[in-house]
Amino acid sequence: MMKTPPKFFLWLLDVCCPASRSDLKGDFLELYEYRAKEVGRFHANLNFLKDILSVVPLKFIVREEFKSGNSMALATVNFKIASRNLLKNKGFTSLNIIGLALGLATCMLIVFYVIDELGYDRYHAKSDRIFRVNTELNYGGAITSFAITAPPVANALVTTFPEAEKSVRLVQNINTRFAKGSEVIQEDRVFLSDSTLFDVFTLPMIHGNPASALTAPNSMVITESMARKYFNRVDVVGETMLEANDSSLHTITGVIEDIPRQSHFVADFFLSMHVHRGANDVNFNKFTFNTYVLLKARADERALQKKFPDFLKSHLSNSMNVELFEKNGNYIRINLIALKDIHLHSNRQGELGINGSAGYIYIFAIIATLILALACINFMNLSTARSAHRAREVGIRKVMGSLRKQLVMQFLSESMLVTFLSAVTAMLMAWILLPYFNEIAGKNLHVTMENAAGLVGAVIIIAFIVGILSGFYPAFFLSGFQPIHVLKGKLATGFKGGRLRNFLVIFQFSMSTFLIIGTLVIYNQLEYIRNKDLGFDRQQVLIIKNASALGNPLILKEEVQQLPGVMHTSLSGYLPTGGARWKNNISVGHERALLCEFWLADADYIPTMGMTLVKGRNFSEDIASDSLAIIINETTAKVLGYTTDLFEKSIRASNVDYHVIGVIKDFNFNSLRDNITPLVFVLGDDWRASLAVRMEGQQATIVLEQVKRTWAKLAPGHQMDYSFMDKDFDALYNTEQRMQKLFVIFTALAIIIACLGLFGLSAYAAEQRNREISIRKVLGASITNLVAMLSMDFIKLVITSILIGVPLAWLMMQSWLQSFAYRDALPWWSFFVAAGGTILIALLTISFQSFKAALINPAENLKGE
Amino acid sequence: MSAKNNLGEFEEIVMLTIGVLGENAYGLAIKVEIETRLNRTVSMGALHTGLYRLEEKGYLKSKLGEATKVRGGKPKRFFEVTAKGQKVLKSAMEDRQKLWKEIPEGVFKLFPSNL
Repeated sequence: MMKTPPKFFLWLLDVCCPASRSDLKGDFLELYEYRAKEVGRFHANLNFLKDILSVVPLKFIVREEFKSGNSMALATVNFKIASRNLLKNKGFTSLNIIGLALGLATCMLIVFYVIDELGYDRYHAKSDRIFRVNTELNYGGAITSFAITAPPVANALVTTFPEAEKSVRLVQNINTRFAKGSEVIQEDRVFLSDSTLFDVFTLPMIHGNPASALTAPNSMVITESMARKYFNRVDVVGETMLEANDSSLHTITGVIEDIPRQSHFVADFFLSMHVHRGANDVNFNKFTFNTYVLLKARADERALQKKFPDFLKSHLSNSMNVELFEKNGNYIRINLIALKDIHLHSNRQGELGINGSAGYIYIFAIIATLILALACINFMNLSTARSAHRAREVGIRKVMGSLRKQLVMQFLSESMLVTFLSAVTAMLMAWILLPYFNEIAGKNLHVTMENAAGLVGAVIIIAFIVGILSGFYPAFFLSGFQPIHVLKGKLATGFKGGRLRNFLVIFQFSMSTFLIIGTLVIYNQLEYIRNKDLGFDRQQVLIIKNASALGNPLILKEEVQQLPGVMHTSLSGYLPTGGARWKNNISVGHERALLCEFWLADADYIPTMGMTLVKGRNFSEDIASDSLAIIINETTAKVLGYTTDLFEKSIRASNVDYHVIGVIKDFNFNSLRDNITPLVFVLGDDWRASLAVRMEGQQATIVLEQVKRTWAKLAPGHQMDYSFMDKDFDALYNTEQRMQKLFVIFTALAIIIACLGLFGLSAYAAEQRNREISIRKVLGASITNLVAMLSMDFIKLVITSILIGVPLAWLMMQSWLQSFAYRDALPWWSFFVAAGGTILIALLTISFQSFKAALINPAENLKGE
Repeated sequence: MSAKNNLGEFEEIVMLTIGVLGENAYGLAIKVEIETRLNRTVSMGALHTGLYRLEEKGYLKSKLGEATKVRGGKPKRFFEVTAKGQKVLKSAMEDRQKLWKEIPEGVFKLFPSNL
């Protein structure tokens, strides 16, 4: 009986043996049979593998015939030659690999980000049919876009329109505090929801019945992680949780899986809508809830939206005179937005979470393409620059009979090899840089099993395309040399012939110039913002956001006021850096109403904020009539046309008459992107009030400690939610600061890549002209002369780049600055710095190579003559 | 004298063994013969690489035998030392003998008298 090796071994044999040596396979088979008989299967197998290993090199040594079917041989030969070529020039190769890897890594990270952003809210089974109802309000000329609607809209839509299958309302429950044993923990991701939540959204329930989970008044549904956090286990249906603010008990009726990160809202707790006092309100012009509708399959949402105006009008007419309302130029309208569009395209009032923006995606995508383009350009540049060296090789090969096709394949495989190595390096780079990228982009991207395959696949595809594209030009260019020209030495090896190459260098450096200017302009604007006089003093102000947690916040205010180092304290929900906002209409006499910011404050507000009164006086606790006093800002005064006799005037708001007691200097509230609009102050209480504490200069930490102690005394079991006003202010410019970081990084990247390219190019320019240099040196040229001569060509290119980059930057940054109502002029010095910097960097790069070349002993170069 | 490629030790052994085997000098047989006669292990890779190189240099000539039912239908490749190869072998042997003759008596303690 023939003892043959297992099938796998036979396959291995076919792979590892050269095709022309079938006798080798025969020897293996014979040997195997002999061993199997004498020593046993196991040893036969073992030794078979050992021998196979020893035979592998033979495959590369045996020269196969170039039959068309013998692609494996062709590939190995190419591979050998390619790797030999690359190793011969380690410097050039590593330059190329690093440059391309940088570009690929950046591209990878950005693609990761973009794909993540595009994938929000996809996990719902019915995501195609889910829409959110938006509200548009035009009142007194001010248009507001809301992500929320009136309470009865959800139900009315379902009962009126057959296309609307189900609806659900969600609203965030702020300042929720749950008891855990003796502790009280503040939870920020608590939502109130109708019982139809699970009919619309796909939130897999681990324990409990989705159909009935939120029907009972005090029911609640929590996530897995919360169950573990509060009970150390997951099957907690039936347990109760105590809400500390109003001591209400809630029974857990369901536990769901944690909500995926890629959602426009992420909740830890859902409480039944019954908790909300306004849930059953029938008023159609009060906007409270985020309303979602599930439409029937194949429903036409556009047709449905056309029916909305009549629908809304008929309901609004029950509580207001719609005709008069609309005659005055006002309107209330509702429309639908697809669930999948919310994350990237919705930035309205009342959003459930912080949304991204499509704008960011575009910017990122453009930057990714740019950087990749720069890297590919480099690759092409460096490859073609070596053409002089390869020319002789190409000439000889052609004489020996190489087909052009073979040469192209040869060069293509070289470029594929480099690209492949770059891809691997890029993956490593991206892996290492991911945490930093997350920080800058404000995301939490992780490589998981699912997206790893996609990412790696994407990189390989990009690398492949890049390899082919970048390899084509050099491949065809190089293989196009005529052998006779090369061997006779007539080939134009100067740099003047490389018009495309010059164009590529110019592109790279104009990009760099542009980015440098951009960085400087953003920096300048941010500094301007930081140092501008805003009309209030944000330094040394502590803000306690949850002062309202106490039954009587006034006690806290008085106690804190007594502490040493505290200059002023004020209770108000309205802060220049954020917090409550309320607009109201004020009118004077019978004139048309003016919509303005209407802020409630106390008598200490103005001194605490460091604001200045330009006319009149502040509120005073001691004057009884001050309960109807109003302080207006300069803009309001201007709009109302008040100059001298303003203290006689009375202002009407919400059917109450106020008398003006003072005018306050304009201050910037919200961000400096917006103009200062009319704003007024009246005395009043707001249950959302924060306590603002102005502290004396160096005492901040000490005072903070004491405030904490006072708090603990008055509000045991509650965490003090505080911040400092200057930090809050900085947070308003998060987007800009992030942009600044991005710009700095991309500028650095662009410059690095451009310099890598220039470094390589100047090296080869110098090398090509080495004989010329030596002769000049012998004839008496100084080092300086030589360096200048070598650099001149490149400097011309760099200057052209600057001439292109500067106007481009001017245009773009000018338009960016326009988005700020308050801005500094375009800093003229930034153009000079950018131009000078670019030239300097380019010079340094070039001169390193030029110096090296100029210092070579002429004898070395002229030896071969 | 023209620049003659000097023969490696293993290559010499292989060629001599082929001479020993005569008609039946194919890959596996050569390996087994060297292993049994000289008590050293020969890897398949080393052997076949050597055979290939020797043939490239022109010292060996090979031809495929008939395909038979054994060995999975793969034929055996039989090797023969060419004239050029024989010349090289002879010259190598002569070089060694020359040197042995010149070694004075008693220098190699192991064999006081020369072979």
